[in-house]
Amino acid sequence: MNYNILAYIIYAVITMYVIYWVGRLFHRNGRVFILQLFHHHEAQTDATNNIILIAYYLFNTGYAIVQFSNWQPVLTIPTLIASIAGKTGLLVSILAVTHYFNMALIYILSKRILHYSS
Amino acid sequence: MKNLIVIAYLVYVPVIVLLTFYVAHSLFRNSLVYMKDIFNGRDEIAVATNTLFKIGFYLLNLGFGLYILEITRHLDTPQVAIEALSVKIGGFSIYLGVMLFLNLYLFFRGKRIAKQKRLAAQFIAQPNIPNIPQV
Repeated sequence: MNYNILAYIIYAVITMYVIYWVGRLFHRNGRVFILQLFHHHEAQTDATNNIILIAYYLFNTGYAIVQFSNWQPVLTIPTLIASIAGKTGLLVSILAVTHYFNMALIYILSKRILHYSS
Repeated sequence: MKNLIVIAYLVYVPVIVLLTFYVAHSLFRNSLVYMKDIFNGRDEIAVATNTLFKIGFYLLNLGFGLYILEITRHLDTPQVAIEALSVKIGGFSIYLGVMLFLNLYLFFRGKRIAKQKRLAAQFIAQPNIPNIPQV
């Protein structure tokens, strides 16, 4: 089998699993914060949370799949491992930076809401 | 000698995963105390924030570790392989230490701000000067 196709399959499995797992964790742990921002309206919170989860899946799987288009030609096993690790590392790093940005956003928003309501 | 580079990768990946796992485990098992202090007894939000910080820590460090995996040096002998690995693993370890202190700084900052807010709320509720013991 062509090494490039093997690389795509391995990369897709790894990134899809990471995206799914991380998304589930965010969905579960972020609910409390949205609940706080929406002043404890449960139905509105769950709806928003689910929509955000779907948007997150779409963006991340889209980014992961777009990476196939500019993959370097893979001829040897070391290149295979290095290219998969490089791409996966970049994707996970982007995820991490976005995550910290979101946490900062929640912090700023919650501070502002507390400020206005009190 | 392409086998050596594969062996180097196979050594590198478990080492960074175990290192990240160990550091994250020991950091975030202990940080729950700070979180409960910061969020003033609201346990649900404290646990959620702790988990979110933990996920962020894992993502950032595993992502960076995988991103710097590629060894461009030509590995001819085991000695060169060990030297190349030492740069990678040592550098990653130092980076992990810096990240640990960064997270610790965030926790201490949150704790300080929570304490200030608590004192301010106390002062607004009861504006008289609390009885400071005379020295």
